[in-house]
Amino acid sequence: MSFKIFLAVILGGLSGHFFVPASVSGSLGTIADIGLLVLLFFVGIDIGKQKGILNTVRSMGFKVLLVPLATIIGSVVGGMVASFFINVSIGEGGALGSGLGWYTLSATILSREGLVALSALAFLSNVFREVIGLIIMPTVAKKLGYLEVVSMAGATAMDTSLPMISATTDAETSIIAFVSGVICTSSVPIILPIIIKVFG
Amino acid sequence: MGILADLVKYLGILFIGALIGYNDLVKGKLADNLGTIQDVCLLFLLFTMGISIGLNKEVVDNLLGLGLKALVISVCTIVFSIIAVRLVKRFVQTKGDTNEF
Repeated sequence: MSFKIFLAVILGGLSGHFFVPASVSGSLGTIADIGLLVLLFFVGIDIGKQKGILNTVRSMGFKVLLVPLATIIGSVVGGMVASFFINVSIGEGGALGSGLGWYTLSATILSREGLVALSALAFLSNVFREVIGLIIMPTVAKKLGYLEVVSMAGATAMDTSLPMISATTDAETSIIAFVSGVICTSSVPIILPIIIKVFG
Repeated sequence: MGILADLVKYLGILFIGALIGYNDLVKGKLADNLGTIQDVCLLFLLFTMGISIGLNKEVVDNLLGLGLKALVISVCTIVFSIIAVRLVKRFVQTKGDTNEF
């Protein structure tokens, strides 16, 4: 599966660069959106079939929220640490980290702020986070643990990474992943502008 | 508002799917191939993501320099997310996850 993922991205990149006309760009978002909805629909069926799992989450209670909280803090700190190795400020590093793998949103927010180079960097670093995450998920699930897989996925745990999470972990973790992904996703448009404002 | 609408849309479709799954409305061949359908959707999504990257000239032209920086950032965010979740893991231990810190 990891190889197929790699291949899909490479083939997409090559066809985007050589064959696909630029005019497709707009409809691409719509196509991806439809694909995502179909995917989520089937992921939903999978989750629905796991009866009794909802009770597990209820019994876990608010503690489940520690997973997205740790993910957000870890990602922002990770971005700030990265800023010491590359040519960006500590605030920019934190902002890039706070994208949590949601590359379209973080890139859009930053370009709206007039930070074009940073926007491209946000796009790439968050794409990489998602792709690297998907590739190493089977290994991380086996060697480190299931919640580490969820945390790695960041905001993508609720959509694009969810099928891989459900394939490499278990149904219970998949539910936590979705909860974590929803909270991470909601946090990106709030935290990213705040970091840019505070450090900018 | 757009983000909120997306969130509601994603949650809505997932909820509809969950209701269908919970009430066992999916049967036969379709039920056996749910995993395959998910894989195909995922690969398709990644393919379209690749096209978006390939279409963006500015990104393609500076791919190497931007790519290296992006790699450092993504690796750091992944590593620190894992470290952070390990710190709270003792409070959220799942049954299937036998790897304890």
